[in-house]
Amino acid sequence: MLNKHMTFTGLFCSLFSANLWAEAPTLTNPAVSVVLDGYYQNAERPLSEATEGFGLGHTELSLSANIDDLFYGKLTTVFEVNDGETELNVEEAFIQTLAMPAGFSMRGGRFLSDIGYLNNQHVHTDSFADRPAVYRAFLGSHYYDDGVRLTYLAPTDLYWTMGSEIFQGDSLRAEDEHNEREYDNLGVYTIYTKVGGDIGIESSWQAGLSYLHNKNGQLTADEHDHSHDHSSDEHSHDAAYTGQNMYIADVVYKWAPNGNYKYQNLALSGEWIRLTDFAPAEGAYIYPYSSHYQQGWYVSGVYQFTPQWSVGLRHGQVDTMQLDGNAFEDQKLTETDVSLFWHHSHFSTVRLQYTLQKGTNFDGIENDNVVTLQYVMTLGAHGAHQF
Amino acid sequence: MRINSNFIKTAILGLGVVISSVSYAQLNIFACEPEYASLAKELAPDAKIYAATTAMQDPHQVQARPSLIAKMRQADLVVCAGADLEIGWLPMLQMKSVNAKVRSTDQGLFFATDQIETLDKLDSVDLSQGDVHAKGNPHVHFDPERLLKIAAALTDKLIQLDTSHSAQYKANLANFTTRWQAAMLNWKQMAAPLQGQKVIAYHSSFRYLFHWVGIEQVGDLEPKPGLPPSSTHLAQLLKSAAKQDIMAIVIASYQNDRGAIWLGERAKLPVVTLPMSVGGNSESQDLFSLYSSTLNLLLNVQKLEAE
Repeated sequence: MLNKHMTFTGLFCSLFSANLWAEAPTLTNPAVSVVLDGYYQNAERPLSEATEGFGLGHTELSLSANIDDLFYGKLTTVFEVNDGETELNVEEAFIQTLAMPAGFSMRGGRFLSDIGYLNNQHVHTDSFADRPAVYRAFLGSHYYDDGVRLTYLAPTDLYWTMGSEIFQGDSLRAEDEHNEREYDNLGVYTIYTKVGGDIGIESSWQAGLSYLHNKNGQLTADEHDHSHDHSSDEHSHDAAYTGQNMYIADVVYKWAPNGNYKYQNLALSGEWIRLTDFAPAEGAYIYPYSSHYQQGWYVSGVYQFTPQWSVGLRHGQVDTMQLDGNAFEDQKLTETDVSLFWHHSHFSTVRLQYTLQKGTNFDGIENDNVVTLQYVMTLGAHGAHQF
Repeated sequence: MRINSNFIKTAILGLGVVISSVSYAQLNIFACEPEYASLAKELAPDAKIYAATTAMQDPHQVQARPSLIAKMRQADLVVCAGADLEIGWLPMLQMKSVNAKVRSTDQGLFFATDQIETLDKLDSVDLSQGDVHAKGNPHVHFDPERLLKIAAALTDKLIQLDTSHSAQYKANLANFTTRWQAAMLNWKQMAAPLQGQKVIAYHSSFRYLFHWVGIEQVGDLEPKPGLPPSSTHLAQLLKSAAKQDIMAIVIASYQNDRGAIWLGERAKLPVVTLPMSVGGNSESQDLFSLYSSTLNLLLNVQKLEAE
């Protein structure tokens, strides 16, 4: 662990000393970026990685460059501190084709799935301290995995892309308390499409539909231990709730006066996720449940009212079910977040966020009012952001 | 089995039309800024040209939005300022538009700042200096001599990509050069009274214009490049403005005028908003009218000052 850390520090220093922040990255001069993320909060949000008190968030080191004229590569490592132990996780390590013909491209390795709107965005670009509850419940905050992706972009003025991914799917596996289940090694298949465009000069939009098929997402009757405890995987990236099928619809709309994002701009977004076929197929009469699906949604609005200040409002809810004894118990978590943040430059953000949370049958809610003070700062390469 | 010979003829004819329309297809040009869309229009008037931004938008801060990805997907040539002006959005567009034709400057990618010497290059960059460009100031389109060199290089690029029309591109360049040189003589004359004047400006947006005309920028509304005017910084500018003979406060069409107006009222200086590019005001319809409108606005301010 120490050695690994030393190597990275050395690598980083040697690269950074030669690296001008805004240079176009090349192989001998790759884009190096570090994200520093720290916070203090008075309470915890259920299903979240962030604990009470002081803590480090998504502290990451990222290297990327075009490898040659055909391939691009990126490595993102995330440092996490859990119970006093520092872990180094690889969140992205992928190559992507640059020169496939006819609008096709492929990505392979470990990467963020492109389903939904928020999932493939990097956490440090978020406007809130935590992902919405529905993401934390169904996607383990953000779903990244080992696999391959094929995408196609249509040659039309209307933006229209389609993609499909195959993943190992370890982090989306249903519970297996006895370690007896033989999981499929290719567990997760996704397809998605996104369309988007401009409305005049001031407005832009994008909408998407995604489907995720999870071969290992459904509980099986005989393998299930009747006591179920989520607190044991509090800090893992695994999704707390899984099912065989996941459907996502997302929409985002952005507006700026004259289309000039420097001074004022508004971003509205919303997503809805439904999970089906979660209960043991053969056991509907053994383990009764109230609904055939679990689902959640959020809507969010963020307004930058001066070049250095933004305010965000988000409301969302997730309705889940947890097997408790011989029946699925209904759970509900509703969150309303207000976030005020100051961005002195493109590289530094300080955020104050208040969350009002209401949970029904949810563990881990000791306080309905969560206040988080957080900083997110980047040093190194000025990475281009996604829409 | 009878084969409908008419069908075959139609199919062959149809295929022929498709092939010929591919080989003689209109060149599809994606310009990062409106000045380069205008330049492309002078040099390749038959091309399909799209400008990704307007003169009312800060080119440093553009969203890599879906419409731009869709446009770049179809482009044969991408023309941008370069020198990392578009570093916050161009790489994302290149990645997402999966168009290998426009990824390398060997092929269909053209950076204006690669063709000339930029001003204010830095040997080392420290972000405490603000949002600075190590490769020099990228707002090069306001130097008419540099722009002419860029026009010649862009013509070479057009010929490289569309060799069959090389004679046409050369003729277009010759025509543009003649008109541009004549206009330059005129502008030089017009701008003579502005030489040696001092201004306070916002960012280094008009660095090349001031350099060419001989205007001295003695203050910047931004405390550091990329940071908005702060009250303490404006107060300092107010103090130093009192000690010098300043003609005006100059801002660009995409810049907020609040700081400039605050300072202008207290320092008794006129505030003039110049078009950052074509489309920045109603007079600026092309590169020629952009220059004349800009010089006229400055001359009007100077006249007011003199009265």
